[in-house]
Amino acid sequence: MIAATTDAGLECPSDDGIGALEAHAKHIRRLIVRLAATPTGCHLGGSLSLVEILVALLGRVMRTRPGNPRWEERDHLILSKGHAAAGLYAALSEFGFFDPEELVRRYNAEGSIFTGHVNAKAPGVDFSTGSLGHGLGLGTGLSLGYRLRGLGNRVYVICGDGEMGEGSNWEAIQIASHQRLSNLTIIIDRNRGQNDGPTESILSQAALADRLMMFGFEAIEVDGHDLRALCNALEAPAKGTSPRAIIARTQKGAGVPMFKGKGPHYAVFTPEQLRRALVSMGEVP
Amino acid sequence: MSGPQTEGADLASDPEAWLRENPKLPNRQIFRHALARFAEQDSRLVLLEADLGGAGDPFEARHKSRYFNLGICEATMLDMACGMAHVGHVVFAHTFAPFGAMRACEQVRLGMAYPQANVKLVCDYGGVSGAFFGPTHHAIEDLAILRAMPGMTVFSPADGLETILATRAMIEHDGPVYMRLGRNRVSRLEAQREGFALGRAHCIREGSDVGLIAHGEIGVSVALEAASRLEAQGVSARVVNMHTLKPLDEAAILETAERTRLLVTVEEHNILGGLGGAVCETVCAHGLGRRVLRMGIQDRYDPLAGSHESLLLGHGLDGASVAERVLGSLSRPHAVAPEPVTTRRN
Repeated sequence: MIAATTDAGLECPSDDGIGALEAHAKHIRRLIVRLAATPTGCHLGGSLSLVEILVALLGRVMRTRPGNPRWEERDHLILSKGHAAAGLYAALSEFGFFDPEELVRRYNAEGSIFTGHVNAKAPGVDFSTGSLGHGLGLGTGLSLGYRLRGLGNRVYVICGDGEMGEGSNWEAIQIASHQRLSNLTIIIDRNRGQNDGPTESILSQAALADRLMMFGFEAIEVDGHDLRALCNALEAPAKGTSPRAIIARTQKGAGVPMFKGKGPHYAVFTPEQLRRALVSMGEVP
Repeated sequence: MSGPQTEGADLASDPEAWLRENPKLPNRQIFRHALARFAEQDSRLVLLEADLGGAGDPFEARHKSRYFNLGICEATMLDMACGMAHVGHVVFAHTFAPFGAMRACEQVRLGMAYPQANVKLVCDYGGVSGAFFGPTHHAIEDLAILRAMPGMTVFSPADGLETILATRAMIEHDGPVYMRLGRNRVSRLEAQREGFALGRAHCIREGSDVGLIAHGEIGVSVALEAASRLEAQGVSARVVNMHTLKPLDEAAILETAERTRLLVTVEEHNILGGLGGAVCETVCAHGLGRRVLRMGIQDRYDPLAGSHESLLLGHGLDGASVAERVLGSLSRPHAVAPEPVTTRRN
């Protein structure tokens, strides 16, 4: 694993302890629920479920330069479940890629780069995603491209568990395994929900870690809201040349107690709902 | 002709001599040789294939580290191509036309067209060249689909020389390109070529009665044969090789419309949405009020086994059939000189 850089010019808070990372997660959640209170709302449940995954990556594990998003030595993050754009944008703004208040003002607004599915025009984003089942193929190509050039950049792809229904993911998993792309890590946000309801009642995604191991990945299952567990899993030294998969057990709507673990897939908050959500999070509206 | 070539003419500096020395190759194999040769000078070039078959891939033989047979995963191959292009590689993805244009259609759209990725999709088995393999291996809709994607360059070469020239041009062009090839051995066009540019049509025969506009390995040779047959009947035919369907050389279409009395498109593609559609769009957009005779696949699939030649005959895609339909059309005066569109409202 490549250590986070400590250049003085970098704003990436790579030296934060877990407590500081938790503070980032709180800020990001507050921003996400504010995005649900914009005129068009956002994919709220699946944005809140992956907050710790984003914090572990952007705040600790990845090499990034928020002031120079196209820095050639950067690691890459592809949010394949691109409907959770609000979560990614909020995290990128928390870590300095752009101004959070500008994000709230312009999210889904006319002529804005902050579209409802992830947009490559936003700083820190390489590919437009949200049509599901493409992120892993893109990430596999990036990983192969870097290896072919002899470069050490790493690639992280976040998929939804419902998204694993797309066959193209399994094509990419086979190729990544066969090509021994050890510079590639897949994180599956296992929040057990998709647009139409629970994944297990629509298309079971049971035994994902076992399945990925059988496909040749090094796979581990962790509590996806435990930042220490996530960081340990992401930073553990590679055992061989296999690509890596982390199944992160999460909850839709996590971190907003009023949802009681059953956060909505999509939400457009009224000002009153926003106030109640923030209060339940212990925030001052 | 499978292994590395070390003797004889050089493909890059003298492609015509190289083709004379290798007369039996289909375009898809000529493409692989061309790419392998150009990759000697350009370390950015990468070739991805999807279990495409064909023993002795010259690119694989000469550039093993830059060749990836990804298996039967056409869709992911296109997403991967986009990822690799993002790192600075010039990525060629090579598969069969029905799978590149249709199975991987959304990957082509999102991975190539939308981000304007520097990816070149090269597809064999264009039209009904897959013949007896059946419609699963025919591609009669590919050009319509690819042409509809904003920012795509769509190319259909007529012979081996054009395939070599286009491969070089694709490398020099920064952006997504679809190149459509057939499956079988191609004949060599006699027409002289002075220079080559993607998007610039090539008039290969002058004529004043009929304008035959064609593309591809079958379309252009059928148009040329039809022109010869028409000449024997006293009808003068102009033949334009519209090798690039997008960006379309509209000036060449307008010039042909101006110089002739009847426009005819000839292509191994459905008469809907390909060159026939593109020429009709151009004629309408410029208010020419001109009828266009579209020769091509007659909007139906071919469910029964047959040779490439017999399937083409079934669609009237041969020199004799085209010439006959042109003569029939010319004999109907209204088809040749319609009233201007603006006077037809009553």
